[in-house]
Amino acid sequence: MGRRPIPVFFFKGVLPVTGRIFSPGIEHKKARWGWVFILPSLVFFALFNFYPIFNALYTSLFRKKLLSLKPPKFIGFDNYIYLFNSPDFWNSIRATVVFTIGTFIPMLIFSLILANFIISRKRFQKFFQMAYYSPAVLSSVVVAAIWLLIFDPRGLSNQLINFILNTPGIDHKWLANSAMVQISTILVYFWKYVGYFTIIFLVGLASIPKSIHEAAKIDGVNAWSGFWYVTFPLLKPTTILVSIMSMLQCLKTFSTQYLFTQGGAPTEPINVITLNLYHTAIRDHRIGLASAMSIILFCIMLFFTWLQFKGSRSDEVSY
Amino acid sequence: MGDYIMKRLCILLACAFFLTVAVNAAESKTEILYWTHEDPNRTEIENRYIEEFEKANPEVTIKRVTSPSKKMAERVLTAFAANQGPDMFNLQIEDEFAYIVNSRLAPIDYKAAGYPSVKAIYDAYLPKVLDPVTYERKLYGLPLELTNWCLYINDRVFKDAGLNPDKDYPKTWEEMVAVSEKIAIRDGEIIKRRGFDFRYPYYLVSMIPMVEQLGGKLISDDGKTAIINDKAWIQFLEFMQAWGPNGKNLGSPTYTNARKLFNKDNNDMGMCLSGLYQAGRIRKDNPEFYNSGEWRVVPFPKFANAVKNSASAYYGHYFVVNAQKPKKNQEMTWKFIGYMLSHAEAYLSKVGLIQPTVKLMGSQTFKDMPYSSVFKGDMERGLIVYYAGNSAKIQQHIREAVESVMLAGSSPEKALKNLRRKAQETLDEK
Repeated sequence: MGRRPIPVFFFKGVLPVTGRIFSPGIEHKKARWGWVFILPSLVFFALFNFYPIFNALYTSLFRKKLLSLKPPKFIGFDNYIYLFNSPDFWNSIRATVVFTIGTFIPMLIFSLILANFIISRKRFQKFFQMAYYSPAVLSSVVVAAIWLLIFDPRGLSNQLINFILNTPGIDHKWLANSAMVQISTILVYFWKYVGYFTIIFLVGLASIPKSIHEAAKIDGVNAWSGFWYVTFPLLKPTTILVSIMSMLQCLKTFSTQYLFTQGGAPTEPINVITLNLYHTAIRDHRIGLASAMSIILFCIMLFFTWLQFKGSRSDEVSY
Repeated sequence: MGDYIMKRLCILLACAFFLTVAVNAAESKTEILYWTHEDPNRTEIENRYIEEFEKANPEVTIKRVTSPSKKMAERVLTAFAANQGPDMFNLQIEDEFAYIVNSRLAPIDYKAAGYPSVKAIYDAYLPKVLDPVTYERKLYGLPLELTNWCLYINDRVFKDAGLNPDKDYPKTWEEMVAVSEKIAIRDGEIIKRRGFDFRYPYYLVSMIPMVEQLGGKLISDDGKTAIINDKAWIQFLEFMQAWGPNGKNLGSPTYTNARKLFNKDNNDMGMCLSGLYQAGRIRKDNPEFYNSGEWRVVPFPKFANAVKNSASAYYGHYFVVNAQKPKKNQEMTWKFIGYMLSHAEAYLSKVGLIQPTVKLMGSQTFKDMPYSSVFKGDMERGLIVYYAGNSAKIQQHIREAVESVMLAGSSPEKALKNLRRKAQETLDEK
């Protein structure tokens, strides 16, 4: 019986082009160092991202109380069944969807407009960048505290709107009315993060070679057509990045809603999934149920990210 | 050469020995971690007691850590969830009770706390005040404070509105509406001066007694049914609906909380609900107002058609000890608690906290405290706040019901239907 030849796929990634066995080349050695350098971050990522995800998935299958010393009871998918039959959870889904759509779409559009506005300035570019970005560096708690004062019935918001509309003495119930409190949370979030995404768009716009714009100008393209047919298609990767990032950010929103409810705003209209999850875990001590909520939120985020990636694959443009 | 090595070895061994002794000595010192809520007046006296206790017990160090009262429940919970709770802490009983039923707390060490027996502890306190921390015939805590709320009145605001505070102060909730109407100053729909407003996050303390006055109950006597007597609940919800911005527009949870404004005496708040401790805070925040004699405290109002004479519920902050700490720590912690609580009169006179011992309630210090008789009278006609493992969640359901009628335009009937469903579901949870 002769020796069987070793199949080539066995050495895929190990064999250099020459096909010599056990003779890793320079590329391979470099790759090995690459692994060494990224290993700490991989371990870190696995420890602080993957472990909590798997732990939440595991915990979601149990009836577990946060303070109980008794071993948790395995209940399979009962937590998920409970949630899908719970009107409160569906209200949280509704609140999250309303907030996400109401925030991320305007944020995407306005950050793109602002980025174009800033890049088209010949002077004060840095000033505008700083001015729009500055709310993003404030902590969410500080932001919500400031806006609570602004939305107070005697605060700036009523005074300003009544001045503009010439309607003295009208209380627009920014925090007291179900619809208005949703708009208020959207406003706060939009104000805080629009500058952040504007900066990302600015980076995207700056990376488009000037020669392309110049060529388009020579061909007689006007400003609007230039933006729509040249800039926007070339900005597609940045747009996808911003849309995914802003959408995920909106789905995870918590601190604004939390602080507004602490400030007296009604809970139900703004009881987003994360706020419901927090109350379920911290107030009700039902950590198994809260874990199930977090897994559902994770799946929702995963699904929409996949959908956006899928939708963005067609008509790819390059230069 | 051999001698040299031997000498070096001896020095090394001696060093190791002294190091071990030093480490052991350091380890033998017991550190007690004490978590409590912020209260500047209390911090002052408790830091002194810690110093005195450490002096008398050199083997103990006490680390006192404060958090905002709104954050305390969350911080203690997350610490215990990770089995890293402090040696001792205090929370409101509604939040604390879950720790008792989940075996997270140590029963009292009566000897360490300075009592000859557990019975002696019960005898030292007013009847029933230790019931919330008694579970399966064991005692798990001692009260740092027992608080009930009465009505604080700013005489200057009353006079400014053309009212006589001596006779026009509200005795009923109906009078409260009428008096608040007279005091309120509005710019269109926006209230510039409120007559009175509720303490909205604390629905169990002040709003359940209003339902009880009308003959309603939160939970049935057998503990199986939530929301008793629809008529009483509907009347209460109708009252709150009329109070809010869509009714008579006398107040709302979205305005700055009444208690904070009251101390400032800026002619924007006529009345508020608070405990005896509020007087100490007025003295600290606004000495001129405190010394002016232009404020007073009157009993908690009741409805004109009340069938029960309920005052605001009283709630307790109890000192408790972590059962997961070593026995030595537990013993020292109870000793420290016993030492602090032996200064009940100082807690009352300096901080305005009532530690409901028989001795204190009969003392001259208590009698000399401004308006202490009003608080005592109301405490006698009030009940302990609803406490159970689920009380925080039940409170949230009541909050949602009140908010829905006051702010969201829901009818009282619909709000009650939702409240019943949620409260019953919470009650039935295993």
